[in-house]
Amino acid sequence: MTGFPVGITALIVISLLIFFGLAHRALDRMRLTDRGALAVIVAMIVGSFISLPIPGGRYPVSINVGGGLFPLGLSIYLLSRAGTAAERIRALVGAGITAVVVYAVGSLVMRGLPEPGGRYEILDALWLYPLVAGLVGYLAGRSRRAAFVSATLGLLVLDVGYYFWLVSRGAPAGRVAIGGAGAFDAIVLAGILAVLLAEVVGEVRERLQGGPVSKGRPEALLRALRKPEMATVGNGGNRIDRESPENDEGGTLK
Amino acid sequence: MTGAKSRIIWGIGLLLVGISLLLGLSVSRLTRPVWSVTTFFKEAENDHQAGVVYTVKDEQGRVISQASRRVTVGDEIFTAEGRHYRVTGVKGNTAYARYLGMDRDLLAYNEYYSHLGVPAVRMMARSTRPVGIYHTHSDESYVPTDGSESIPFKGGIYQVGEALVNRLKNSGVRVDYDRTPHDPHDDNAYYRSRRTAVKLMQNNPIAIFDVHRDGVSDPGYYQRYISNEDVAQTRLVVGRENPRMQANLDFAKRLMSYANSLHKPVVKEIFTAKGNYNQDLMPTALLIEAGTHTNTKGEAERGIALLADAVPVVLGLTGPAPGGAPKPVTDRTAGTPGSWKALGWIIALTLLGGGAFLLISAGSWDRAKSRLSDFFGREFASFFAPRRARKPDLDTAEKATETPAEGHRDPDAGEAARDHLERIRQD
Repeated sequence: MTGFPVGITALIVISLLIFFGLAHRALDRMRLTDRGALAVIVAMIVGSFISLPIPGGRYPVSINVGGGLFPLGLSIYLLSRAGTAAERIRALVGAGITAVVVYAVGSLVMRGLPEPGGRYEILDALWLYPLVAGLVGYLAGRSRRAAFVSATLGLLVLDVGYYFWLVSRGAPAGRVAIGGAGAFDAIVLAGILAVLLAEVVGEVRERLQGGPVSKGRPEALLRALRKPEMATVGNGGNRIDRESPENDEGGTLK
Repeated sequence: MTGAKSRIIWGIGLLLVGISLLLGLSVSRLTRPVWSVTTFFKEAENDHQAGVVYTVKDEQGRVISQASRRVTVGDEIFTAEGRHYRVTGVKGNTAYARYLGMDRDLLAYNEYYSHLGVPAVRMMARSTRPVGIYHTHSDESYVPTDGSESIPFKGGIYQVGEALVNRLKNSGVRVDYDRTPHDPHDDNAYYRSRRTAVKLMQNNPIAIFDVHRDGVSDPGYYQRYISNEDVAQTRLVVGRENPRMQANLDFAKRLMSYANSLHKPVVKEIFTAKGNYNQDLMPTALLIEAGTHTNTKGEAERGIALLADAVPVVLGLTGPAPGGAPKPVTDRTAGTPGSWKALGWIIALTLLGGGAFLLISAGSWDRAKSRLSDFFGREFASFFAPRRARKPDLDTAEKATETPAEGHRDPDAGEAARDHLERIRQD
């Protein structure tokens, strides 16, 4: 982005820093260490410049390393590390529902002659997807990770569906570039914002009920929530009250 | 426990009631005069027959603008003369806008450019960066010429894009024209075209234009006789759901002002609408509407070609800017008030959002404050100092928690324990 005046350059640089800062916060919650999250971000930025063509189709199909492959890999990793089969199924169901809802809202409701965004354009697709995916994912799995998996896999399913739509319509031309916008693709944005949304919803809910439920929880979990000497080590998600154990606040309990 | 539960249920219930009230109110307003479940999902061609065209009026009842989209409170219009309006209310298909005065930036640009006289084009090329052009709604067509307002995958809009490309090339500008269709014509098209826009950006363009046509049913709304030609005017659209919109708006004002000083009034107005339109990708990304579907394609082609005459100078692609003219967007020393404004907004929003979240998650000012200082101590200590240096802090934290301090531990053991705890506490 050379050749722009200071104002525009500062704007671009600082908004990028904020974007990737938020991305780091979100990835931090994904069973990744601080350093791991940073590595994923760097890999996504570098991967943005690499698109792998998938041969054999009627239309050119490609998957971007930063915008498609990494989010997909991270989702699969999270699914494989899921605690229970139920958690896995909930995340996958969430992804399916996300794809359907996003299609219904973006393609059935918000279409038509009115320019530039179709009839009921209220929220741009870019911001709508994370909202839908975050809500569906959180409701389905009640966790940030489920929100992330729902958002990224849901949109990937939508892209695959688009290929079949092109085939069924016999389109004379078309291109399916999965995650083609790299680190700025809606897939990445949806994943990150869905996690942050789940975090905000989780915190508000917890605050509403006056701290996490501690009765009837496994002792190991409660001990972890108190987390005495780790207080300053983990990540931004520390919710520690240095008070009595009854009033203890911990990570989002479900 | 039951008290807490009922509080949550009450909270969620109230939230739902609020949201459904809001939705109900806005939906009933936007779906008038015809509403049924089937029309909600029906193909939108009927829309235009039902006459869903919004008329924007000022306080005196004069028509300022028409739009084929839902006009919402907060939308803004900048007319070619520099008049600035904001929509304050919508009743049926009429929107009422308040006059906010003349826009200072536009007045300044108009003043500068009016002294320019002969366009300073076709000079030595100063930059070889291309201009990217694509169509999000690739089916858009012109009824009198194409026979339909929508031709999937190969709408008449491609020829209009071609007219823009040819005119730019004639004035020595490099152009990257991406013809990828993004059908069907819906809001998800922007999700697909975002990839195209980023693909264009890989060639380091100086600006990217998304070329559309409008859906206002009155052809006369855009028809004008400008520079000895029958043309359809253009409209520039800036998305409000874009954190950096002020920068895009600044670019739109420059372009409108200079284009109108060459061929008045080839740009009808700037409309700031709900949406993002991939304009967050670049401060010089714009959406151009070339006429409406009831104009002929020829009118639209001639109109956008006139607009193209202004592009090289505004972007600083040709020759040194003549004396007295504002510096082009890409000049390193140019003032960019829009960018600073956008930057201010982004930083303010980030601080506000982060602060609100911190407060909610901490529960009180004091805890939020201590967590914040904790955060900075932790994050930056790990950058600037070896981990060992923070041991005393850890010890005080341990004392505060009233758990027996274990003294200095092996850092590796700490790492393992932390991993273990992380695993347990993650939900």
